[in-house]
Amino acid sequence: MARDGESRSFRRKFCKLCFDKVERIDYKDDRRLTRFITDRGKIVPRRISGTCARHQSQITEAVKRARILALLPFTSEQYR
Amino acid sequence: MKLYETTVIYDPGLEEARVNEEVDRVTQAITQAGGEIAEVQRWGKRKLAYMIGKRRDGTYVHVKHKSPATLIAEMDRRFRLNEGILRHLTVVAPKESPKTEEPAKEGESSEKAAADGESAAVTV
Repeated sequence: MARDGESRSFRRKFCKLCFDKVERIDYKDDRRLTRFITDRGKIVPRRISGTCARHQSQITEAVKRARILALLPFTSEQYR
Repeated sequence: MKLYETTVIYDPGLEEARVNEEVDRVTQAITQAGGEIAEVQRWGKRKLAYMIGKRRDGTYVHVKHKSPATLIAEMDRRFRLNEGILRHLTVVAPKESPKTEEPAKEGESSEKAAADGESAAVTV
């Protein structure tokens, strides 16, 4: 199996939040936010998630607030 | 006056009556200072994403209120002194807050799987 070149399909990334027509991301909506953090608890960068700038900055703020309220982890416990 | 959202996490060991008492005290303080309560949501006992002072759960209370700015600082100070409070957060509410639904809804698992697959593809 080819590793790099052909196996990777170049599907155009799109902002899933724009697609869902999300106006505002709420820090209380931890279900939605878990889609934008890695299993280690890091915020997924735009280059990977394909989020647009507007939504990415909303995600960042919301995740940070949710972390303060212990709705989302700062880090995954098993890696500590 | 701005519209604020305050979320307080109480110690899960507190009885419901105590929590109610605490919440009443907060709402009273707001109305006394000339503010008004827009909404009080009790999320109940929830699991914390990480331990706070050896606690795994917390009793969440979420209050939307209009308050004078000076009260916010005073409330913050009182919350910090209160030992029954694990965590608190006050933020300015979004201007036209469209929905005030409680969190934990619509788990679009298929989309989540797609997003996970994508991130995995890049890291591998």
